[in-house]
Amino acid sequence: MLLGSCLDKHAPPAAIRIRWAHDPETLAPLALQNQSAMDASNLMYLSLLQVNSKPLSIEPALAEQLPEVGPRGDSLTTFRYTIRPNAAWDDGRPVTAADVACTLKLMSCPGIPNEISRNNYSRIRQIELNPANSRQFTLVCQGQSPELLLISGDFFILPEAVLDPQHRLRSYSLPALQRWPATRPPDSALAAVARQYQAADLANHPEHAPGCGPYRLARWEKDRYLSFRSKPNWWGKATTGLPLALQARAPQLDYLIIPNASAAALALRRGDLDVFPQVPAADFNRFSTNPSADVRLYASDSYDIALAGFNTKRPALADALTRQALSRLFDTAGLLRGTQQGRGQRTAGLVPPFDRTNYNDSLRPVPYHPAAARALLLQAGWQPPTAGQPGWRRASSRGEQKLQLAVRYRSSDELFATAALQFRAAATSLGIAVELRPTESALFGKALADGDFDIFMRTLHGNPFAVNFAPLLHSGTSSETNSTRFGNPACDQFIDAVATANDSPQRVRQLRQLQALLQQQAPLVPFFFLANRVAARRDCQGLYVSSLKPGFVAPTIERTAAAASR
Amino acid sequence: MESLKSLFGRMRRGQLLALGWLAGVVLLALLAPVLPLPYPAGIPDLAHVAEAPSRASRHWLGTDPQGGDVLSGLLFGARTALLLTLPAALLANLLGGVVGGAAGFWGNRLLVSAPAMGLAPLALAWVLGMPPLAVAAGAVTVGALWAWRCMRRLPASIAAPLDSLVLATVSSLDTVPRLVLVLALVARGGLSVAGLGLVLGLTAWSGPARLVRARMLAVKALPFVEAAQASGLPLARVWWHHALPHALKPLQTALPLSLAGLLALESTLSFLGIGLPPDVASWGQQLAAARQQPQAWWAVVFPALALFATIISINVLTTRKSSLSN
Amino acid sequence: MVRLLLRHLGQTLLATWLLASVVFLLTRADGEQAVRLALAPAADLSMPAVSQAEELASRAAARHRLGLDRPLFYVGCSAAGSWEWGGWHNQYHQWLRALLHGNLGTSFRSGELVSHRLAQALAFTLPLTGLAAVLAILAALVLATGMAAFPRWQGPVRTVLVGLHSVPLFIVALALLLLFANPELLNWFPAYGAAPEVGTHALKQFFDALPQLVLPVAALVLAAVPELTLQLASALAHELRQPYIVTARAKGLRASAVVRHHALRNALLPTLAQLAELLPAMAAGAVVVETIFALPGMGRLLAEAAATRDYPLLVGGVLLVGLARLLSLLLADLSYSWADPRIRWKA
Repeated sequence: MLLGSCLDKHAPPAAIRIRWAHDPETLAPLALQNQSAMDASNLMYLSLLQVNSKPLSIEPALAEQLPEVGPRGDSLTTFRYTIRPNAAWDDGRPVTAADVACTLKLMSCPGIPNEISRNNYSRIRQIELNPANSRQFTLVCQGQSPELLLISGDFFILPEAVLDPQHRLRSYSLPALQRWPATRPPDSALAAVARQYQAADLANHPEHAPGCGPYRLARWEKDRYLSFRSKPNWWGKATTGLPLALQARAPQLDYLIIPNASAAALALRRGDLDVFPQVPAADFNRFSTNPSADVRLYASDSYDIALAGFNTKRPALADALTRQALSRLFDTAGLLRGTQQGRGQRTAGLVPPFDRTNYNDSLRPVPYHPAAARALLLQAGWQPPTAGQPGWRRASSRGEQKLQLAVRYRSSDELFATAALQFRAAATSLGIAVELRPTESALFGKALADGDFDIFMRTLHGNPFAVNFAPLLHSGTSSETNSTRFGNPACDQFIDAVATANDSPQRVRQLRQLQALLQQQAPLVPFFFLANRVAARRDCQGLYVSSLKPGFVAPTIERTAAAASR
Repeated sequence: MESLKSLFGRMRRGQLLALGWLAGVVLLALLAPVLPLPYPAGIPDLAHVAEAPSRASRHWLGTDPQGGDVLSGLLFGARTALLLTLPAALLANLLGGVVGGAAGFWGNRLLVSAPAMGLAPLALAWVLGMPPLAVAAGAVTVGALWAWRCMRRLPASIAAPLDSLVLATVSSLDTVPRLVLVLALVARGGLSVAGLGLVLGLTAWSGPARLVRARMLAVKALPFVEAAQASGLPLARVWWHHALPHALKPLQTALPLSLAGLLALESTLSFLGIGLPPDVASWGQQLAAARQQPQAWWAVVFPALALFATIISINVLTTRKSSLSN
Repeated sequence: MVRLLLRHLGQTLLATWLLASVVFLLTRADGEQAVRLALAPAADLSMPAVSQAEELASRAAARHRLGLDRPLFYVGCSAAGSWEWGGWHNQYHQWLRALLHGNLGTSFRSGELVSHRLAQALAFTLPLTGLAAVLAILAALVLATGMAAFPRWQGPVRTVLVGLHSVPLFIVALALLLLFANPELLNWFPAYGAAPEVGTHALKQFFDALPQLVLPVAALVLAAVPELTLQLASALAHELRQPYIVTARAKGLRASAVVRHHALRNALLPTLAQLAELLPAMAAGAVVVETIFALPGMGRLLAEAAATRDYPLLVGGVLLVGLARLLSLLLADLSYSWADPRIRWKA
């Protein structure tokens, strides 16, 4: 009977079932900590602007159109937005500028878990409401760089009517809240706001508060699944020209939490699952060598780059020549073939090669060349190992230096486990002592911030609209993000110039020069940009795969049968 | 020589096979560095990643998902098992046997002289670097208490709750998730290979201790132990010579099992990034490849078979010994 | 007997408190890690640059929010290396007070009540592990008595069991998954139970979930049976050599009756320790099986809490498992006296 019950074939359910490896755990819109939480919030809330997957562009979502941008003084930019007239919360109230102001103030309100949003949007300095039009407002942002456009409109708007029904926050200005010292306790009104926010419990029960997005959280069993239902009378249904992510065609989206990739692959083959995003390279390869009539494969570029970096504060790694030498010991071509089945693109810099305008195509990826590495080491003043003295040495003003390398990477990361073994083998053949230290995920961040490594290997996530190397490589940023502790006056100049340049051709020129300089300085060794792989059931149509996270658009997917009957 | 021959003569075929397998493993483990292997262990072959066994590439047992040769991994893994896991398992069983046996035998009535009991925490405080003033004050208190006991003519030794102590330690060891223990260890820097062996041994003794303690409770009540006690032998002697050998019986079954358990634990630890360094081959790590690519069966089946045969061989030999001793 | 029981209960509570305190202090000593993880993942190419001052400010805010800015304990070792008084408002004191009021705190990550989250996970884990434990005990009893009654089968069964035990649990689980939930081999069981429709009856949900539980339970039983059976069988073999068995046989009882009515009770003694082990293991869940079969249980919850440094959740889980373990020890000790009257309670 048991067997019978699971063997009988059910009709395919209406829901589109998508795999997630982890539960988002918290959906607090001001503290989105992982991609799953971001995807879920994208279904329930809207922001002013939305990054569209096809065509790749920034498009208005809650805003009627792209904002009017203008400079103010020589260090500020203003963005004038108007909210769509029919945009409304689930309870029927219109979305107004007051909701935007409330959201921005909540981001800086003390006593609320909002540090992530506060840091990301601290450059929005002021919001000016238009007394004549409740849907219109102006954001004043610090700086004049082009990337400000996305920052000014890429946060989820929350309902003031639920989070601050007494309008307490209206009596505080945004700058006053932003200047609130971390040590100063909130006053009674702000404490009441914080309590109100915590009581709304958006982190665990976002369905209790109204949203303005196309979906509503219907059920959430932690570590098991999240189920989203599309709203039957959502205001956007009547609106045309919305970005893909807002064209809610799937009536129900179920995100199933399946930690193990093999189990997810089996579930997809069996039809227990419809979409398997971010398929590991090996499983994707198995799908393609062993095709199934029910599964279709999609692949695209992504902005995720695998790279290694040096601790430039270590005396042995402080000079560019040594770093150049060591970067020739990474067999990136072999790693791409061996671990990624050749999918992905080798790169010379942090700009992806498929970004034709910005990528410096006169550069070549660093080759795997141990002999050249040896020559460069000699050139950098290192003495090769001899019979009596193992290991490379070099004399410096502060005593003798030894070339001994500790390599850190996340122990859960298979790609870097292989890369580390490959690097160790290549270095050992030259007589360089290498110690591998696979590190538990949480401790990895600490080790990088504390500088407890010589070489690290990790993946960085990028996006097509913000090319900003300042957090990563500027001498002025904290070691929390600038793990290499790299800082070079010429590079700083280029990074600042690229970040602030408005003029496109000049910006491109500077970006290309920066790439060349970075390859010469070699604080980082870019391996390759990883591919985005998605596998889905064949009866799912309208699946748009893109290089944006999460790699595909969920709401546009629908079953062939359902699409035909519509 | 003659006795050895007769010993072999009395062995059955299965036992000879087991002995042969173990001897082979030990021999190969010791010779691994000088064997003419086509690929060294710990160096990925990026041209052949997760490939099935083939003669063309000379990966006779295939390669694992990281491009490592399974055959050389097996041989070097045997070396690790022999030099690290086996000593750790022996340590765990020895420690567990002695501690569990003592706890079961003496219960909560181990007599320790009172000053020694007072001084132990003081020494600990001193080692921890507590202020000297506090340590001195503690010492004065202990001295005063002792003097008071002497004046009241109370016995100079008091009963230490050995059984409760051991039980508490054992259950804490088992209850604190390995993860927490491991995090606490890692926060204080990584581990050397010897350190790892020690950690494995010191965390795995709770199981044997529990088994031996349970058996000791029964053995203690047996007539021959009571007789030995009645004949006036020192308690420690009764424990060591008469009770302990009988109480250690369950370990015959437990030893091969704990060896397997340690190998599994070792693979878990490498998953957490505090196990063996990745360039040291081990069977546990080879088995862990199943998590990445279970479909690459050759990377898992061969080490699993090696482990399987080794454990069964040890088991066959230990049960043989027990039937001989009876 | 009652006094004795109370005494043991008291000891149990004391030990639980000690254990939880140690875990609390061990984990909180690493508090900065939780603060770091509460903030955005560092080094993203699309993240705006954050100055050192902003970084410090947001850390201070997160530390304060999580209650990690207070001293850890009544006394502590300051940065200078000297000992100092931490005051009553330390983290440990606050935690202990809340604990006495039955409050385990709220999760660092989601702000959810720890007790609620643990109850949710337990509600899923206990049926799974409980079922597996019962089946494993039954299987062990059957196998062990069978081995004692049919000595000829002892060797082969033993070999199979030892071999089974030498295979790590995750391999057993993966093998089951790839054999029985694979459209290319045997497509018998789901790799993931379909998400139940919203609003269906609880009983129907349970029956819907049954096929999904077959493979995980099988994996757990396969993992637990060998050790249980081997210990029980060796204890049985030991008992069968005792004189009272010879007497029983001399009376003309059948071999199986001798085993069942005479030897089994005494042989259970050393096995009780292991049976008692099953209770905390049931509460702790099995992270490997839960991960592979995508089940939302305690094992996964605690492993993820440890990985993300969600200390209140972790300490709550440890407290729960610790309590289960200590209770099981109590039960084991009590049942020793039942199984073997020679072991008397001595003060």
